[in-house]
Amino acid sequence: MEPHLSLVTGKGGAGKSTAAAALALALSKRTKTVLVDLDQRASAARLLELEPAPRYEGTTIENLEVRSFTSQDELASFIERIVPIKTIARRLLRSHTFGYVSAALPGLEAFLMLERLRQLAEEAESQGTFVVVDGPASGTAVELLSVPLRLRQLAPFGTLNALARQIEDFLNDPRRFGLWLTARPERFAIHEAFETIDCLVQRRQTGVVAAILNAVPTPLLQANDCASLRSVQGHWQLALKRKAISEMAAHARQQFKRAGIKLIELPMLYTAEFGRTQIEILATAFAELPG
Amino acid sequence: MAVRFELTNKRLIICLGTGGVGKTTIAAALALEAALAGRTVDVMTIDPAPRLLDALGVPNRPAEPQEIPLNGVMPLPVGRLRAFRLDPKRMFDRLVHRYAPSPTVRKAILDNRIYQGLSTALAGVADYMAAEQLLDLWRQAGSDLIVVDTPPAHEAINFLDAPRRMVELLSSRALTLLGASRTIGRRLAILDVAARAVIRAFDHLTGLNLLDDVQSFVRIFDGMYEGFAERAGQFEAVVRDPASALLLISSAEPQRVEQTREFASSLSRLGLWPDALLINRMTDPLPSFEQLRSAKLPASLKRKLERNFRDYSALKAREAISVRNLRELAANIPVLLANDLDAEPVSLKDLVYIARSIRSAD
Repeated sequence: MEPHLSLVTGKGGAGKSTAAAALALALSKRTKTVLVDLDQRASAARLLELEPAPRYEGTTIENLEVRSFTSQDELASFIERIVPIKTIARRLLRSHTFGYVSAALPGLEAFLMLERLRQLAEEAESQGTFVVVDGPASGTAVELLSVPLRLRQLAPFGTLNALARQIEDFLNDPRRFGLWLTARPERFAIHEAFETIDCLVQRRQTGVVAAILNAVPTPLLQANDCASLRSVQGHWQLALKRKAISEMAAHARQQFKRAGIKLIELPMLYTAEFGRTQIEILATAFAELPG
Repeated sequence: MAVRFELTNKRLIICLGTGGVGKTTIAAALALEAALAGRTVDVMTIDPAPRLLDALGVPNRPAEPQEIPLNGVMPLPVGRLRAFRLDPKRMFDRLVHRYAPSPTVRKAILDNRIYQGLSTALAGVADYMAAEQLLDLWRQAGSDLIVVDTPPAHEAINFLDAPRRMVELLSSRALTLLGASRTIGRRLAILDVAARAVIRAFDHLTGLNLLDDVQSFVRIFDGMYEGFAERAGQFEAVVRDPASALLLISSAEPQRVEQTREFASSLSRLGLWPDALLINRMTDPLPSFEQLRSAKLPASLKRKLERNFRDYSALKAREAISVRNLRELAANIPVLLANDLDAEPVSLKDLVYIARSIRSAD
């Protein structure tokens, strides 16, 4: 059973946005799903050829809504909430002070972002829907997830402590929160994925739902295939290159199995175009998950 | 070849680009190539993958700049390569040590909770400290070439704009708002009340009592403001120096094209234009299909190789579309290509291979 909120992370270039878009599309076949971008680039939404609507008002297409949240927006709504006089709040947001306040309150932006995710998850849980977040790169994600703990150390009691605890509870609740770790079938990429998992386990955040192996080639050569003919040297090399990646994927498959981590494999798609049609195909990789 | 030479003839190369395009690898490769050509080079990486440090022969978290042993890569006498790994917190502490007017102030800053949060928690600080480190290197003039790998950024300009933003943050106006030690105009007074209201509300909500810390932070930093402003100006001059090059790096993937376009436009909003666009991870040209068709092979193997060729041709076409789009957006600057290594670089030889593969796209 997938968590109501999925945060998709991975090393830069691993295909986080592709994986997030495919996961969101797969979940949307079952029930209403929101695909969330945490920066203005909206890479995942763009892959689906959707543009995120202004905040809090998403575009819905076939059960799939895309939304974009930025830490600045979250800070703005925070300030609007606590500065009751609208004109002052607006002036404040336009001023340098805005940047100053956010800079002076350590971890505030990350904290507000996590609080937003917690609220989204809560909403999704009560409605039986899903949220998929195209998350930051794994290093940043690990940092992000450690913010509540750091804040609790900073404020050992009081409201913030309680809020931070609430967020921690959310992050530790497998029904509401889960991480998906994207990696390509490359030796060091797999190695780093395991390092990230170790790091999360150490911080008692064990909620890795599954690893996503991206761009797995369809196998081509069998063990008994061989071509030493000089005339097709280049073609043979090309086939060997593919074979090497296939073998790396097979190796990763074993490693994840041994570690008891569920693995989703997204096939390498040999197409010149890469857009919504391709994401539709990749989404079927998530279809086998128990519903 | 000529273009690459032109690039490494500069005194400073700043490698920019979105996450996952191989900025760090290209920075290291260019630095190594220049060092092997006999120049003395400093390469500064922000948060390199451990594998790249291994490739450079650098321990995982070097406290000090590391001299990279170059013998063994080339038989000929070569230049010198030093690698720096930026530690923002250390750099910030060092600045405080350098510029605090008195030991009391220094201690007050280092002990301040806001400073501690600021110096470790904020992404912007890493950008700013990278800029400070660069300025240090530039002024030391201990090398003929500095290659900088920029921090992972939400936005292209985070690094280039960091000093200006830091100054804005510490500017008299912002300081006045919270420190309330200077003449306050009526407009500012309103903001001041609002800013205090925010922090007070936050304090109330959190029980953190930050207002006092914020105010004292602002007061003690007050005296250091001018130093920051001066260096921000110097940094801007360095970036715009004719001997400095901004190298925009992308890879030939459809998603990166859009991101690179946005990157370029955020650069131009700062009045900056990249000196070159480098498209990284270009795959090798495909062998000819004719070769395969005429070859005598077992039918099943031939079918497999034909299928493989078709598959890779599609990927090559995808790459070509991205390259075309990238060239379109960089119509006025040189476009360079660098080869894919088929794996992450694990040795200096790998980096040399990448550097040597850099060529003009024309």
